[in-house]
Amino acid sequence: MASHKLATLYKELQRAFDARPSDLKKCGTLLAQLKVGLIEAGLLIPQGEANLQDLVVARDILEIGVFWSIRAQDIPSFDRYFSQLYTFYTDYRSSLPPSKREFPVRGLNLIRLLTQNRIADFHTTLESLPLPADEINTNPYIRHPVNLERWLMEGSYSKVWNAREEAPAEEYKFFVDSLMGTIRNEIASCEESAYESLPLKDAATLLFFTSQSGLLKFAQQRGWQVDLTAGLITFAKKNDELVEIPKEKLIAANLAYARELEQIV
Amino acid sequence: MPDVEMKATDKKEDKKDEKKEESEKEAPKQPPPTPTQEIKANIALIERAINDLEPRYTYRVLRSFTSLRKRISDKVLRDAIEENYPKDSAVKASLLSWVPPAPPAEQSMEVDTAPTTSETTPPPSKPSSDPVPEAEIYLRLLIIHHLHSSKETYSKSIQISHETVDKMQSMNRRSMDPIAAKVWFAVERSYELGGELADARPMFLAAQRTASLRHDDDTQASLINRLLRGYLHYNLYDQADKLVSKTTFPVSASNPQYARYHYFLGRIKAVQLNYTAAHTNLQQAIRRAPTAKTAPGFYQAVHKLFVIVELLMGDIPDRGLFRHPVLEKALGAYFDIVKAVRTGSLSEFQSTLNKHAAQFEADKTYTLIVRLRQNVIKTGIRRLSLSYSRISLRDICLKLHLDSEEDAEYIVGKAIRDGVIEGRIVHEKGWMECGGQKNAYGPEAIEVFGRRIGYCLDLHNQSVKAMRYPLNAHRKELAAAQDAREREKELAKEIQEGDMDDDEGLGDY
Repeated sequence: MASHKLATLYKELQRAFDARPSDLKKCGTLLAQLKVGLIEAGLLIPQGEANLQDLVVARDILEIGVFWSIRAQDIPSFDRYFSQLYTFYTDYRSSLPPSKREFPVRGLNLIRLLTQNRIADFHTTLESLPLPADEINTNPYIRHPVNLERWLMEGSYSKVWNAREEAPAEEYKFFVDSLMGTIRNEIASCEESAYESLPLKDAATLLFFTSQSGLLKFAQQRGWQVDLTAGLITFAKKNDELVEIPKEKLIAANLAYARELEQIV
Repeated sequence: MPDVEMKATDKKEDKKDEKKEESEKEAPKQPPPTPTQEIKANIALIERAINDLEPRYTYRVLRSFTSLRKRISDKVLRDAIEENYPKDSAVKASLLSWVPPAPPAEQSMEVDTAPTTSETTPPPSKPSSDPVPEAEIYLRLLIIHHLHSSKETYSKSIQISHETVDKMQSMNRRSMDPIAAKVWFAVERSYELGGELADARPMFLAAQRTASLRHDDDTQASLINRLLRGYLHYNLYDQADKLVSKTTFPVSASNPQYARYHYFLGRIKAVQLNYTAAHTNLQQAIRRAPTAKTAPGFYQAVHKLFVIVELLMGDIPDRGLFRHPVLEKALGAYFDIVKAVRTGSLSEFQSTLNKHAAQFEADKTYTLIVRLRQNVIKTGIRRLSLSYSRISLRDICLKLHLDSEEDAEYIVGKAIRDGVIEGRIVHEKGWMECGGQKNAYGPEAIEVFGRRIGYCLDLHNQSVKAMRYPLNAHRKELAAAQDAREREKELAKEIQEGDMDDDEGLGDY
């Protein structure tokens, strides 16, 4: 009975999700019901041998959940769905038919790690992808985040900015905005140490601002001195702090050496 | 993975040895002792270890294990079992069931070698009782390794591994630990050869828990390495990292285990971008590993990773490394990469990467090397900043083969912020001004110095701790000290008396 109810709910969810524009609210309620159903059927975190057909359905539901949470801009929910999916992608990889949504989902996860600046996690995840290394550069869903990361690390920020529109799937764009925020802060911190002063106009182009008011607001946040009449931003110098001699540390180290030497002699 | 490579080279040697042995069999065989004798001697050593409660003897047995392993055959095992167990022992029967019975043809072939063995060994005195259980496990270990040598027996080796593990755990003898650790290695190997390595994971995890509860350090060290290797084999860096953070590697573990552990740690840390930690771990792995000649596979694998990590840290590895006889060939591709990074040329880097892609992928270093791209750029910028006091962004862009001037500006800005170079950009004029060199004698120098001193002191303390003294030898010294003390007493007495004399003399004045 439970599986019958699940099947109807699943069909309804598919309909609601595929409709353009998809009905987010309805999807949400359906997903919640479906998850309860999955738990009752023991399919949410499958253990041992389960019916393959059921597993495929469960995976589909979770994948829709992933996309839904991004459309609904709910990152914690994205995390949950993704970690639930992970079992299907790794442990059941050999028995289940491959899903065409797998790599979009994995790519989304990579981008998310990138926007949260979790570079170490990004690389461990990348390393555990079930792809040979050369396919990383050919799979469009994976290539996108990988390229973004490379450019971010190099400092080719303009390339990242230009890649905004090249997202391979609709959902990727959600992350782009927060990524841009990250980039802007990165650039700003670079500018603080690399320039003494910068004309307002150039600063706007460097930081990808289209209007001056946006730039001024941003400058205020970062505490830059803006000279409106001369059209200049001056960066306060941070490097001239006096380097203090770490006295206590030195004393402690010397005492430790003395003690050790005494033991030796 | 290093172990596999070690095996690969081992196997080649194996084959060579086999051939050698065949040829040796034609010629009259002279000592060194036959494997059968060696096994017998080893079992005697194990017994002694258990009677004296001195695990050192067991370790000595295990040290000779690798060389012994290569010389083992069905017959050797059969003979060893026959010789060491009394006639109607149950253990003997169960052991013999794993060794194929002697086919008549083989026996007739062995005829000409048989006299030589009987000449060298006087007819062995049949033991009246079973030797210690450790000896049984030791023989089982030999059998498992022997089963690894041919494809048909892989499934059999998994069966015997299971049986052996069950036996070990039910007996629960601390004196068995060193051998047990070796058995776990053999178990892993059986699984790897015979099927899926992942299938063995639950068993290893369970055994690891038991071992840590029993404070069984040898087994624990061996099992942690088995697990890590399994995780890394399937690229499960997350799980591996969690395992490392949840377990403590036993301090008393042997050097080879430590070397492996450090290598795995280095790998994990490198993937997580923690290059400094990776570097220290790999260095430890190199220091603790057996010499290049005995384990070339491991030595090469560690150095491959080491070179990459060093590059990622922004250092250029020593050139002499690439001329090392064991490494020269294996590191060829890596040498090309180092050259590309050193010159800071992106195009050369890219072409080298494409040329050797297959090898890097096999070594599982490809993704790490791809990360070097930014280092190539950084090295390029650093070279420019050292040689020019002022350079236009356009020239930087041309020299480093960057795509646009705009990119160059961002990249230089990032390099300045990350502290790669000292300098600043003058945007209006479109050039970069390079500042002087950093003052090298800041507090960092103290820290580095302190770390080195700490290392030396630690080394000294460790060596003092590692010194061994023969048992009861201090008694003699005590006796000597007793004598000395008595002499001293006498001396003191005399002096005192003398003093008194003096005092008297003084008093007379």
